[in-house]
Order: sequence, then structure tokens, then C-alpha cells
Amino acid sequence: MSTALVKITRTETYRTVSDALWQNNPISKQVLGICSALAVTVQMNTAIVMALALTAVVACSNLIISMMRKSIPRNIRIIVEVAVIATLVIIADEVLKAFLYDISKQLSVFVGLIITNCIVMGRAETFAMSNPPFKSFVDGMANGIGYGSILVGVSFFRELLGSGKILGFPVVPQALYDMGYMDMGLMLLAPGAFIVIGLFVWLEHALLNR
Amino acid sequence: MSDGVKTILFATGLCLVCSLLLTLAATGLKAFQRENALVDRQKNVLQAVGAVESGRSYPADAIKALYQSSIQCISIDDEGQVLSAKAAPQKVLPLYLYRPDETVAAYIVPVDSRGLWGRIYGYLALDTDGSTITGFSVYQHSETPGLGGEIENQWFQRNFVGKQITDEEGNFVSIKIAKGAVEDAVRQDLKPNYVDGISGATMTGKFLTQGLEDILQTYEPVSVHFRNQGMLKLPENALVCQPPS
Repeated sequence: MSTALVKITRTETYRTVSDALWQNNPISKQVLGICSALAVTVQMNTAIVMALALTAVVACSNLIISMMRKSIPRNIRIIVEVAVIATLVIIADEVLKAFLYDISKQLSVFVGLIITNCIVMGRAETFAMSNPPFKSFVDGMANGIGYGSILVGVSFFRELLGSGKILGFPVVPQALYDMGYMDMGLMLLAPGAFIVIGLFVWLEHALLNR
Repeated sequence: MSDGVKTILFATGLCLVCSLLLTLAATGLKAFQRENALVDRQKNVLQAVGAVESGRSYPADAIKALYQSSIQCISIDDEGQVLSAKAAPQKVLPLYLYRPDETVAAYIVPVDSRGLWGRIYGYLALDTDGSTITGFSVYQHSETPGLGGEIENQWFQRNFVGKQITDEEGNFVSIKIAKGAVEDAVRQDLKPNYVDGISGATMTGKFLTQGLEDILQTYEPVSVHFRNQGMLKLPENALVCQPPS
């Protein structure tokens, strides 16, 4: 059992994933993609959908760009990357509008703004352009999950403290409200997200430097 | 082949593939999106009269069933007369009636107003006294998220409930969006005609105020009927309103 575990931890895929999730997390370590992390983390379900959308986009764009990497002319490579990413984002947006209309309305412009998310462009330019397709796909997935883990973490605290709910279900008992407990209005606003993300960054740096 | 030609060919090929994919996605999913938009509009009609809560999600079938059983959409002419199915089509306005049972509990006018960045679409519901607002909802707009976009939020829409579109003598004055909170910004006797504005969205407020006034002016003949008689005379076979495109 333990040898199997060691074997897994030695594979390159494992290292790619753990690197993106922890040592080099796009949000808490590289501080990328903060804009959407502030905006869509008021509720957990919007955060989860946003994380899924971004993961799908970054994984597919990495895969496609990596497959084309040898034939993309160097002088227009950024334009090609943007065109691929933009196409994927619009498709993701259309799919959300067709099947998750309420959530897509709440996410409003932020799905469209995945195009400008530094994580997607960054992975395409620094990783997919110089690595084979499968590796790039895994890297995209890992970075999407790394982004998503922070989003879900932040939204968990914001929804719990800001509206006393988790995934829309009330968890703070009525008795507590009757005793004078109040939801923290700050958590519903962008500054609340800033503080929570800051605490996440702090926590991660503290644990990594130990 | 020179590098320049290769680059142009590659770019052209990529553009073709991308546009093909986008066309496929857009046309393939259109039916679902239309259906969603329709249910969303019905939900907003119900929301304006307080039959469903805003900010909560409901199954599409529940919305459709509730809409089917409690909302009647009729056509009126510009003098506020309800058109019967036989009437020659002239200038026709749609009007929604909220009938949880046999009697009409409220009437709803569709809002189509100018906004800062695009049109604002929604519904404004009025009580059968012809002057008290029972609700307001917005289902489509292009205002800035966080600023003008607040018009779709509960706190802004709840503002409208109980406000008046007439002054104390019963003359039409419309409903206006104040600059800031009504408490500080508006004279005591005008308070029933104002709702709290959104800070940072003065222009959205200005355009929406104008839009609401135009629409209420258009529907004023209907409101007068309600004010004077507390009801609207419905012919046997009222002309069903045109479904919005």
C-alpha cells in the first residue's frame, strides 16, 4: 500500500497536480484571477459553477493549444491563444444559459470575463506552448481545481458568515438569531472577499514556510 | 511557402473552425435558451405581484403552472378599453391581470425603458385602486454590475412596494427614483412618490424614472378605470395579448 502511494507521488502527473493545488496555487500563491474570486464567491453554488466553467475552459484550451503548438506561427501565437480561449468561453457561457439559467444570470459578466482571466492565458502561454497535450490537459485541470478550491473555500466562509447558509440551506439555527446573533453584512460585499482571500494567502504562506 | 502566407492561412483556418463551433453552439442551444427566457419572464410577472419570492429558484414547471392559473394577458387600446377578440386590430397594448381566483387582484404593465447602456425590461404591478404599486421586477438589462445593475436586486425592487403613482388629490405624478435615500433627499409630502436611488447609478435612475413615467402615462387610461371603478370591464372573449417576441 505505502509503496503504491510512493509510486503515485513520484509520477509527473501527481507533481503537476499538487504543484497547482498547493505549492503554486494560482490564487493564493500567484495571486491571479482575483477579480472573479471577489465577485462570484458570495454564494457557494455560483462559486462551484464558476470553478467548473473555468476548469473546463483552461483544460480544453491547454489541450487544444498544446496539440497545435508545433504549427502555430510564432508571430501570431497570442492571437491564436486568445481566439481559442474566447471560443471556449463563449461555448461555456451558452451552455450555462441553456441549462443553468438562474446561476448564469447571477454570474452575469464573469463567465465572459474568463477570457481575460490571467490563469487561462498564463497556462496556455507558459505551459501548453511547450508541453505535450496530455500533460497540458492535466496541468489545466489541476490549475482549474486549484482556482476552484480557493473559490469554494472563500465562498463557504462568505455564505456561512454573510447569510448563515451553506449551498442555500440555512445552517445557523433560529435560536441563535433570537439570542441576538446577526449575519455579517461585510461578508456579502467585495471587501469581505478581500479579507477572506488575504487570510487564505496568509495561511498558505505560513504553512509552506514552516 | 513563405512565412507570411502560412501565417495568414493558419489564421483563416482557425477563424473558420472557431466560427463554425460558435454557430453550432448558438443554434443548437437556442431552443433551451428561449424556453429559459420565457420561464424567466413569467417568473418576473409573478414576482411583481409577490406570488413568488425574488432571489429564490423555482422549478420551471411550477412557474409555468402558477402563471397559467393566475395570470391573464389581455389586450387594450390606447383609451384603456379592453379589446375583444372580434375587435379590429389597431394600436394594441398588452396588459397582465393577476387573478389568483375569479377577481382581479392587481394589474401588471410591461416595462421597457431606456437605461444607461441598453434597454431595461421588467414589470410593474399596480393594485386595483389604480395608484398603489404592489411590486416591480427586472428581467433583462445591461447596466453596470454592482452599480446600475443593482436594479435587479431585492432591496431596490422592494422599495417600490406600497408607493403611489398619484398625489394626495389623486392626480397622476408617476413614480420617481430619488438621488440617494428618500428619507433625506425628498420633501415630506412627495415621499410616497419616490423610491430610494442607487448610489453610483444616478444616470440609470434618471433614465428608468423617465421610462417608468412614459409607460405609466401610456397606461394611465387603464389606471383611471381602476381608480374610478376599482376594476376593469372585461368582455366575454377578451383578445389575448400578443406573446412578446
